[in-house]
Amino acid sequence: MLYRTAGQFKTSYHADHALFPVRQDALLLGFILLLAFVVFPMTASEFVFKALLVPVLIYALAALGLNILTGFAGQLSLGTGAFMGVGAYACYKLVSIFPEMNIVVAIALSGFFSAAIGVAFGLPSLRIKGFYLAIATLAAQFFLVWLFEKWAWLYNYNSSGAIQVPNIDMFGVTVAGPNASAVVQYYFVLCVVALVTFLSINITRGRVGRIWKSVRDMDIAAELVGINLMKAKLSAFAVSSYIVGVSGALFVFLWRGAAEPVLFDIPLSFRVLFIAIIGGLGSILGNFLGAILIVALPVIISALPAALGLPVSSAAVEHLNTMTIGALIIAFLIIEPHGLARFWAIIREKLIMWPFPH
Amino acid sequence: MKTFLKKTLLPVALLVGTALAVPALAAEDAINVTNLSYRTGPFAATGTPLMNGQRDYMLMLNERDGGVNGVKLNYDECETGYNTEKGAECYEKTKATSIVTQPWSTGITLQVLPKSNVDKVPILAPGYGFSPMTDGKIFQWAFNPPATYWDGASMILKSISDGNVENLKGKKIVLLHLDAPYGKEPIPLLKAYADKYGFTFLPIPVGVKEMQNQSAQWLQIRRERPDFVLMWGWGAMNVGAVTEAVKTKFPMDKFVGIWWSGHDGDMKSVGEAGKGYRSLSWSLPDSNSQAMQDIKKYVVDAGKSQIGAGEFDWVFYQRGVLISMFTVEGIKAAQEKFGTKVVNAEQLRWGLENLKLDDAKLASIGMAGMIGPFSTACNNHAGHAGAWMLQWDGTKFVKVSDLLSADQDMIAPLVEAEAKKYAEANAPWPVNEECKM
Amino acid sequence: MDLLNSILVKPFGDMFGAPDFLIQVLWEGLVAGVLYALIALGFVLIYKSSRIFNFAQGIMVVFAALTLVGLHEKGVPALLAVPMTLAVMFALAVAIERVVLRPLVNQPDIILFMATIGITLFLVGFGELIFGGENKVMITQQLFIPTGSFEFEPFGGFVSIEQKDVTAVIGAVLLVAGLILFLNRSKMGRAIRALGDDHQAALSVGISLSTIWVLVWFIAGVIALATGIVWGARAGVSFALEVIAFKALPVLMLGGLESVLGAIVGGIAIGVLEKLFEIYWGQPLLGGNTETWFAFVFALVVLLFRPQGLFGERIIERV
Repeated sequence: MLYRTAGQFKTSYHADHALFPVRQDALLLGFILLLAFVVFPMTASEFVFKALLVPVLIYALAALGLNILTGFAGQLSLGTGAFMGVGAYACYKLVSIFPEMNIVVAIALSGFFSAAIGVAFGLPSLRIKGFYLAIATLAAQFFLVWLFEKWAWLYNYNSSGAIQVPNIDMFGVTVAGPNASAVVQYYFVLCVVALVTFLSINITRGRVGRIWKSVRDMDIAAELVGINLMKAKLSAFAVSSYIVGVSGALFVFLWRGAAEPVLFDIPLSFRVLFIAIIGGLGSILGNFLGAILIVALPVIISALPAALGLPVSSAAVEHLNTMTIGALIIAFLIIEPHGLARFWAIIREKLIMWPFPH
Repeated sequence: MKTFLKKTLLPVALLVGTALAVPALAAEDAINVTNLSYRTGPFAATGTPLMNGQRDYMLMLNERDGGVNGVKLNYDECETGYNTEKGAECYEKTKATSIVTQPWSTGITLQVLPKSNVDKVPILAPGYGFSPMTDGKIFQWAFNPPATYWDGASMILKSISDGNVENLKGKKIVLLHLDAPYGKEPIPLLKAYADKYGFTFLPIPVGVKEMQNQSAQWLQIRRERPDFVLMWGWGAMNVGAVTEAVKTKFPMDKFVGIWWSGHDGDMKSVGEAGKGYRSLSWSLPDSNSQAMQDIKKYVVDAGKSQIGAGEFDWVFYQRGVLISMFTVEGIKAAQEKFGTKVVNAEQLRWGLENLKLDDAKLASIGMAGMIGPFSTACNNHAGHAGAWMLQWDGTKFVKVSDLLSADQDMIAPLVEAEAKKYAEANAPWPVNEECKM
Repeated sequence: MDLLNSILVKPFGDMFGAPDFLIQVLWEGLVAGVLYALIALGFVLIYKSSRIFNFAQGIMVVFAALTLVGLHEKGVPALLAVPMTLAVMFALAVAIERVVLRPLVNQPDIILFMATIGITLFLVGFGELIFGGENKVMITQQLFIPTGSFEFEPFGGFVSIEQKDVTAVIGAVLLVAGLILFLNRSKMGRAIRALGDDHQAALSVGISLSTIWVLVWFIAGVIALATGIVWGARAGVSFALEVIAFKALPVLMLGGLESVLGAIVGGIAIGVLEKLFEIYWGQPLLGGNTETWFAFVFALVVLLFRPQGLFGERIIERV
């Protein structure tokens, strides 16, 4: 019913390969964008902005970056947190060295720093594969976090070793820092995320994306058909780290407001990896679904006992929370190892067929 | 599928809706005090008794006096697990309802500090946080009574040099610290001291992952042969350090910790071997004081407390009680000044800025001698109370010094410079111009 | 020039200038290395038999140690608490096999890896709920582990060797010897190795996958308990122990994912080298705390030359 495709026919291959072969998909996307750009900003409270909407978008962006590397190019990375840190510290240094620089430019530039570091730590991927490669990204993870702690220049020799986001104006509106309003920050993040998502959908659909996928499926075979492995793998590391770096800069500048090195430690990497895997490797949509689940779930679980009037102490709730998330991860992996994106794809298939079973 | 959706998703959505709405329904005749507690995570061992102490004091007042001047205290916790991200989330969740934010970690404090001017909720960080916060003209909304880490460092130096820091000339002092904002706090002051008094100062960091395996740090200490080791440690790091000190045969009486490194629970696991270890403390446990006896009567014996066996006598439990006392005294001062029963966050700010805890006051609330007398003012948000040296005798901490006091001549210029630096880096930063002190 | 001197000459001068100190450093490194090796061993066993990269080994160490101490606190005598803890670990192995592994047979490696992270989170929450977050003391005396220390005075200095560390090393050696015997001589052990070599061939000759998996996870649980006891005796038992799981990863990579011998050699090599690097290079030149990353960077460098680790099976790829 909702997804009736009758009457939609294509007359060229080009049309068949369009972004939205089914018209309803475009309508649905339009509806979601309407929600995101108009309805949420009008209805959400500051808590919802700060604890749900903004983090969902930023985590989704980080997972998108990781997904390009792991889901599309097949290179496992456990160092996402540290690459986010590179983006954040680069942005911090840019803003403090050139206070006049527009924040958008600073964030865009900071991605290049993490891309460069990503490529450097991606070099071993030419020789090392699979779980062994995880060690290269873990080396990046631990070394970089150590560096954030030790290299005082990075945090302007601040005595506490943390970085603090100053108030930053753009066209007369404060977008970052303690004086920025939540709505403005939300719009800023939303625009960046929408833009990057649009670009990455097209990258992954195009030639580069296909090359990555062939490397993921079997790199030796890809090499035999004439794909330059070095270029393919390193470009995946560069693009992925760029996006991750941008998300790191957003993470600190548009959401957290301050950061200490521990923030970028391995739990952050795992969190982003969870989002990418639960959402679905090799999917763009999945990152958003995964982020919604992983970010919103703890908030909801911790609110549940109070809502039900159960006298559970906050510590016990936290323990139950950890347990539930662990159990849910296992459950999701068992039910649908290909993630929420596949789940949605199945539902969509069924809707197109509906009401006929086959 | 559809029935599944209806059956499960609808109630969940409803629950979430009510959950988010609940705080707004809180009773009008109560004061909400939400604590960003951490009873989970790697630092849970040190956090739990502090949280218990805070909770029990408020419960006791509710039971004994029906709250503060007839207004019940609505004590609640939001669990952070010492995780900065959860802490920031808790802050967002509680800032509208709670009249005070107790961030409970230097990392979370740094996150919420810049927002305090905008959200207008006072931050209470007793004995932790950013040391320059004591400058109330710049940090209008932040309070760190009764003493800052810099006060603590100064008092420790005074104590190990037998009252005269000149004696340290030519000596070597190691700071064994957690490699996090908290552990790095005393470094600028100790450096200033080292330059002025001519001793060698060497900070040795312990990474959060290395807390339990400090053999490299202690090998370094063995090689450097320092005259004193100071410790800014937390959680599992304290046990690890004392165990290694025993192994390295470092003389225990040359090993001194800050107030967060003097936890009975930690030292119990070391036992006899830790004998002679000292820790500075701005609180002195006194289980026979009136306040503690009332907590025993109304809360512990009534089965409403969450404390474990022996925890009642612990330094950290009773410190938690004192921390709640700061909030309560702030509320009382605000009630008196504004003539209202249910004070709001802004009124509490005034109350915390005008704490007058002299000996008579402490005696009247049944806490005589449990804390050094101090008072806060608009330019002094810490109060700079004194502290005692406590020594571990194998089973408990005992007082081994008189009330020490910090050398404000050394600290004040540093506070001013750092506070100014902070304000400049975060411009435009509002400064309290009314404060003429 | 000064820099070169401080990198290439001075550290060695320091080493030979204070040999007693060097011995102490080496010993500390060795003990740490043995413990890394033990954890890595748990990983290797599971990886060998099921190609699962078991991230939960670290939390299993904590969980086993907490169960032991918790039972003892409840009044169970220490010598009875050990078999009871083993029973708990067995139940855990069965549960993991039933609930998690069986439905996930034949999934890609990364999915199984994620599932073990899920197990980790679950056990963290579950353990804290039951045992609380406090630091606990390992029941060293009750288990008849000596707690004194041997002291030597070679070269006019002093070296102190803790008896519990000696016990740990001896215990680890015995455990490893037993394990190698078991894997090579017993029927079950050979079945485990067969499963590691070729899943389908092993199944077709009648080896039961689920029995072997339960067995392997149980052995990993036994190793976890042993690790928990010795590490707990050194540093107390708390959830902060969980992070040592990360230390086992470079050990594994260095030694090769499938090799028992590799885990042991890799563990000891990393334990000793990271300590030497930290003391003689890290602390004087880099501001210390290099132990957080040294093992990973070292393993990475070795892997660049031997992509399958020192003792790993050669990777043969076919199109």
